[in-house]
Amino acid sequence: MLQFDRVTLDSGSEVLRQRVRDFIADNQHHMPQPNSDFVTGHDSEFSAKLGEQGWIGMTWPSEFGGGEQSNFERLVVTEELLAAGAPVSAHWIADRQSGPLLLRFGTPEQRERYLPGIASGQSYFSIGMSEPDTGSDLASVRTTAVAEGDAYRINGTKIWTTDAHRNHYIICLVRTEAPSENRHAGFSQIIVDLKNDGAKVRPISNMAGGEDFNEVVFEDVLVPKDRIVGEPGNGWQQVTSELAYERSGPERFLSAFRVFVEMVRICGDKPSPHQAAAIGRLASHFTTLRRMSISVAGMLEQGKDVGVEAALVKELGNNFEKVLPEVARLVVPDLSQLDPVKHKLFRDTFEETLLLSPSFTLRGGTREILRGVIARGLGLR
Amino acid sequence: MDTRQLIIDTAEKIFTDHCQKSLLDAAEQGAFPQDLWDKIVENGFHQIGSCGSGTEAADLYAFLKVCGRFSVPLPMAEVLLSNQWLATGVTASKTDFASIGRRNGDSINQVPWGRKATKVLGVVADSNKVLVMDTPSVNDTGSNLAGEAHDTFLLAGTEREIEVEESPFAQMALARTNLMAGGLQAALDLGLQFASERSQFGRSISKFQAVQHSLAVVAAEVAAAQRAADAAVDALGTDRFIDEVSASKARVGEAVGIVAEQVHQVHGAMGFTYEHRLHHFTRRLWAWRDEWGNEFYWQAKLGSRLAAMGADKVWGYIATRG
Repeated sequence: MLQFDRVTLDSGSEVLRQRVRDFIADNQHHMPQPNSDFVTGHDSEFSAKLGEQGWIGMTWPSEFGGGEQSNFERLVVTEELLAAGAPVSAHWIADRQSGPLLLRFGTPEQRERYLPGIASGQSYFSIGMSEPDTGSDLASVRTTAVAEGDAYRINGTKIWTTDAHRNHYIICLVRTEAPSENRHAGFSQIIVDLKNDGAKVRPISNMAGGEDFNEVVFEDVLVPKDRIVGEPGNGWQQVTSELAYERSGPERFLSAFRVFVEMVRICGDKPSPHQAAAIGRLASHFTTLRRMSISVAGMLEQGKDVGVEAALVKELGNNFEKVLPEVARLVVPDLSQLDPVKHKLFRDTFEETLLLSPSFTLRGGTREILRGVIARGLGLR
Repeated sequence: MDTRQLIIDTAEKIFTDHCQKSLLDAAEQGAFPQDLWDKIVENGFHQIGSCGSGTEAADLYAFLKVCGRFSVPLPMAEVLLSNQWLATGVTASKTDFASIGRRNGDSINQVPWGRKATKVLGVVADSNKVLVMDTPSVNDTGSNLAGEAHDTFLLAGTEREIEVEESPFAQMALARTNLMAGGLQAALDLGLQFASERSQFGRSISKFQAVQHSLAVVAAEVAAAQRAADAAVDALGTDRFIDEVSASKARVGEAVGIVAEQVHQVHGAMGFTYEHRLHHFTRRLWAWRDEWGNEFYWQAKLGSRLAAMGADKVWGYIATRG
């Protein structure tokens, strides 16, 4: 049976929360139009400031620039930043995913080389999983890395790569051996320096007008052998565990949070019964999802496998993020008739989030993949 | 093993043996399940959460979850909460128990098994005062859409009033929330079991992706409902109690519609027959989400509170410690 234990944050976490809130109050100039989506808002100056505070790589060992703090403390920082709509995308993937991957599977040299830069908020990573013919079916990846003396020669194309044009590194899932009967065998993960190794980066605009997507083309790109993350051939195991890190955090239900805030503002202190119910409905989901996310942090803290529970929180959270703008738009009879000055923030925030919303149930594992993970956890497959 | 787990394990064992489909069918026809009630009293379940019983309010709600999981056709929420409110120790016995209904004008209605109750209490929204009928005489017998006996009493003018510390209406809502949390778990379990046993097109229907995804959705809703129900129980005695009950009853009520629909779909025509036990759970879920305030009622209550706090305070409210 799936179990989400009652977990209460300790008082230390609350002291930290106040510090984060004070920091956010002092840095309002970094968030002219707050957006809670973790991909929106790339601000390297802000990321470096977070690094100075010790709020990146929080759970990592101090020898790599980490803070040796708990998953709860990390959650507090994360949720406060997202709720405030702070620009966190520059360091986000490196902090959440690439760093923990290197910490768990990387060689000692790789940890020493890459982790301190991530923790200081100055070194950013992209994820190199998707390819033109590879979406959810990761085992169909065709990019190859062929050993040649002291180097690997990489050929292939990665796509829908967030921020490849401004990040420093990309960790690619590649084939280091030819396909065999075991379709999960023969993969490795390899680090490519996006600034210096010769990968070609071409921008792809998204439907929301954002320009964070890219296509990354590798044509005979040579990288030193020591860029393989951990053991060659271990790529599949690594990439599946990497995906589990990214599924249950607050970013999976808070993406539309600023729409909620502006919706409450527009309803005023004496909402109609319909408006009040809309606010209350969304709040009941927020409090529940947050508690489930904290339960998963508790499991992580105990070193438990959270694969199914994390998928479940993401499934619920992403669906909710998409419902939120739908509920918000109906608290007024006609969005287009709102006062363009007084209610600008509500309208802009709503429209921006609605346009981003198709991505919510795609990134980090589609709804279909997640439901499959949950079904496996239920013993159905 | 702690007390709560012991209560849960013992209750599961007793209900597995003594609360079966035939009993639920008979109760729906008006037969009070006296044997089951006797078992409950013999095991002390009639006093969970009462002072002097060595158990606390949270144990009471944990027990109600088990009752929901077995569709126990007895007014356990009403018996246990009236014990607490009357504050005279345990008032229930093999021959006596109190039930609780909604006070509406000059009547108390929707009283579960009121016809068998030796005391009837009347609760009204937004008041801590509870009306007590010490010699109730039933005026009209009826049932809710789940076939649970729900009776009506006319006030005689001889009732007394007591004051309950924590909102009695919210406590009743919390009781329904926990019954629903249990019922939702049962619906999921039935769906999983049926999907693995039923074959179509030459294979188990659990192997079809469409069925797997339906049950994944159900599991997610059930997990959310459990967490939401627990959170409101944890808020007992705090200044967030009514807010947390609001969020909890609303969230769990929302899960009911989704879960009942999906689990019935998985069960096909078989689950639509009276012969199958699924409806004893789904009809109760549908009834309970409307009793003691539906989703709209509690959402609006919570939403009004948040709106009064103001947009810039809502995050502070959501980011609670517990």
